[in-house]
Parts: sequence; structure tokens; C-alpha cells
Amino acid sequence: MKVGFFIGCNTAFNRPDLEKAFRFVLNALNVEIDDLDGQSCCPTWGTMPSVDEAGWYALGARNFIISEEKNVDMVTVCGSCYGSLSETKYKLDKKPELKEKVNEMLKAIGKEYKGTTRIRLATNFLYNEIGIERIKNALKYNLEGVTIGVQPGCHSLWPSEAYLEGERDPFHPVMLRELCEALGASAPYYSRIIDCCGMGGMRSTNVEASYKLVKTKLDSMKDEIKADLLVTGCSSCLIQFDTAQAPMKKDKMIDYEIPSVHYVQLLALCLGADPQQVVGLSTTDLNGILGKLKKIN
Amino acid sequence: MAEAIEVLNISEGELGFSDEIMKLGAEELLDCIQCAKCAAACPMVLAGFEFFNKRIIQSILIGQKEILLDDSSIWACQACNRCTEVCPRKVEPFGVVMAMRRSAIREFALPTLAVEGLKSLYDVGHAVYFSNAGEIRKKIGLPEKPPTTASNAQALKELRILMNKSALSSLGIIPMDSGLSDVTCCEV
Ligand code: SF4
Ligand code: SF4
Repeated sequence: MKVGFFIGCNTAFNRPDLEKAFRFVLNALNVEIDDLDGQSCCPTWGTMPSVDEAGWYALGARNFIISEEKNVDMVTVCGSCYGSLSETKYKLDKKPELKEKVNEMLKAIGKEYKGTTRIRLATNFLYNEIGIERIKNALKYNLEGVTIGVQPGCHSLWPSEAYLEGERDPFHPVMLRELCEALGASAPYYSRIIDCCGMGGMRSTNVEASYKLVKTKLDSMKDEIKADLLVTGCSSCLIQFDTAQAPMKKDKMIDYEIPSVHYVQLLALCLGADPQQVVGLSTTDLNGILGKLKKIN
Repeated sequence: MAEAIEVLNISEGELGFSDEIMKLGAEELLDCIQCAKCAAACPMVLAGFEFFNKRIIQSILIGQKEILLDDSSIWACQACNRCTEVCPRKVEPFGVVMAMRRSAIREFALPTLAVEGLKSLYDVGHAVYFSNAGEIRKKIGLPEKPPTTASNAQALKELRILMNKSALSSLGIIPMDSGLSDVTCCEV
């Protein structure tokens, strides 16, 4: 099987260890990668979507066309890319007049959006396409005894109409929990499981307000399930939880730290990847968790 | 002592404001019945922002454009679409917030970070870009530049042509190569 890797900006420039982890995971699971050469930003919410609807969709459609020409689906580890591109596809496929307008713009670069390919989120792809059993069978290490607080991320849940392979009930997500359990860990429900991480527009507008959401979420994870580790399905959530905890600790908003990784990074570790390469840029301390990886004989 | 209550004179609201927002992408705006389901789901409310989805819609409906331009809440929207999911009237409140941003941008009421993001998108094809990321990428065994517009001049040119064809080109928010708006085909 072959997929197109939609890398996005944050993964490529902020957390390339996550890019490395995804390449490692796909390789270990025998999925061939096409790099979708020439892809750009999705584009993200604060830029073209905030300026011009058709302009937003035209830039997204150009990314889709790269996949269409190669006849592969796009897979991304970033919730923002997944959200922006899913909405683009949803609207273009639903509204012929919008598609026509965007295709008129695309004529200037000699291209046409057809809608034959789709965008998929890495965790959904792993859950639906690879499957829990294949993941379990490929593991070299497991995480027995580790309790995980999952953070699926807003953009894997809503608007459910635009996500063709999302949760059955987006207000009670189970996919990321089951994916973590496939690694031998436990990943219980906690009351703030669907809360937002506060990254994105909120963090750039008012960092204190954004940290308020981080604290609510972390406290819930710590008090209710005593999480040893926080696992996200989105690169933006990863960056938020990985970088917000140190300043919050300094300001005495929290007196603990929950190490944080993206699911794809955790899976890469359980498939035997070199920690330096796949979680090497973490700022939360992962040594405790790395010590809990148990070799499977 | 009770806080003074500010009373708005809604006859001073801007006429035609709702129409402008509808044209900027919020087609179902008038279907809102102010039921507040969107507010109950919105992380902006939890974080304490004053003008969250329901209040943004209400302000638009009574033509209070200035209030929204003076407040930063519209830029704190997380694009999470909880509101779109729960709205019983299919208003797509998130779409209203985005349409409001589009209106604000036309009044040059946008945060510096949004300008920087747009500039970076035009310059390298990425809204988030760190020019020193190459070193880190190399250290963990990746090529210095990813296989994107950051390392593909032809692809970047295509992107810029599209941005020149969009509404951004007439707004004057970032420097753009105006010559590209007339280009209708790319030389390879
Ligand atoms: S946008 Fe929808 S959910 Fe929000 S107040 Fe209006 S009708 Fe209710
Ligand atoms: S999309 Fe924006 S307005 Fe809607 S619930 Fe999320 S943060 Fe609130």
C-alpha cells in the first residue's frame, strides 16, 4: 500500500522528530510513502481562511491535486492540516458553484480539482486501515503498567460531517484510547477528555487564557486517572502540552509535569525506533516512560 | 455597589453589516435563534473571552461592528467546530467567526501574527516557518528542507499565483508581486 505524506508546517519545522517517527512507523508497517513533492501549508486558519474563502480552498485544492495526480490518499499527523483540508474537500464537493470558482482560479496554474483523493488523519488511518491486530503483531516493546491520558484533539472530532472515518460519537471518542491500549498501556476515560488544548489562535491571542485550558485538562488527567503520560493525536496539541508545562510550573500554576508525546511517536518507540530520532526534541522529560518500555520476546 | 450597565443604542448599529458578513461566507447567519448551544460548547467561553460565537453573532445581527473590531476574541477562535456540530439551526457559527475575521481584515484590524503568517505563507509556502530548522532536521536524519514549496521553486510560484488571484492581492496587507496576478500559466 502507498500513501502521500502531508507533512504540514509545524511537523516539518517545529517537530521534525514527529516527521521522522511517522516515516519510521509507515516503513515498519510496510506502507510505502509518497512525499507529495511541492505541497504547501494546508493553509492554516489564521492565514487564508481568515482572508478569503475561495482563496483558502484554492490553496488546499492545489495540495489535493498533487495527491490526485499520484492516485494516493493524503495522510497527516497534524490536526490543523486535517481540519483545514477536510473542510476544503467537504465544501468543494458539496458546493458545485464554489468548486467552479476555485477551478477557475486553478486554471492560472494549469490545474483542475477533481475530488478523487482524500485526506486522512494518521491515528484514524492506523485504526481503520492498519488495524489494532496488525499493530499488536508488529510491536517490539510494550507499555504494560503505564496509564495514558489521551488528547484526541478538536480537529479529529468536529465537524463530524466532514470526517469520513472519524469516531462513531465524537463527544465520546474511543479510537485513540484503543490505539494506546494496543500498546499494552491503559487509557481510561476522564471527564475533560474532549476539552481543547488551547493552542492555535487562542495561544497567539492570549497565552494566559490558553494555559487556563491546559491546566483544566492536565488537572483532570492527573486527579482522575493519575496519568503517567499524555498522548495526543495532533501535532498542535503535542506542541502545546510539550511547551506549556515548564512556564506553567515556573508560574506555580501546576506543581507537576505530565510527559507528552504524539501517538505516532509512541508507536515508533514500541516498534523499536531510536528515541533520539523520534522523540529527540521533546522538552517534557520522557526518561521515565522510556524506562518503562518492555521488550517483547 | 452594582456595576454600571452599558446600554447600547442599537439604532446606531451599522446598516448592511449582516449582509456583508453573509457575503463573506456566513450564508446561514439569519437562521440563528440565539439558543446558546454553541456557547455551551465553545472553549473561548471556558477560557473567559468576552465575544464568543453566540455573542459575535448577536453583535453582527444588531450591526455592532465597532465592538467586534475593538475586541480580540474573534482571533482566539480555535476553529474547533464544536459549535458547528451542535448548532440546531445549521448556522455554522465557526463560519460566522471566520467571516467576521474577513471583515476585520478589510478594516486592517488584524493581529501582527496573522500578518506574519500571511507573509511567511507567500514567501516560502508555510505559515509556520523557522529558517534555522534545517540544522535540527539534519541532526535527526532528515534532509535540511522538506519536499515542499520550501525546496521547490516551481511549486512556490504556483502558490503565489493563486494567492495573487485571491482577495489578498487587493488588500495590501503584505507585499506581493503584482505581476503574478496576470500570469495564466507557468513556465516549467
Ligand atoms: S448559532 Fe446556532 S447554536 Fe448558536 S445561538 Fe445561534 S442557533 Fe443557537
Ligand atoms: S470553532 Fe471557534 S467559536 Fe466554534 S466552538 Fe470552537 S472556538 Fe468556539
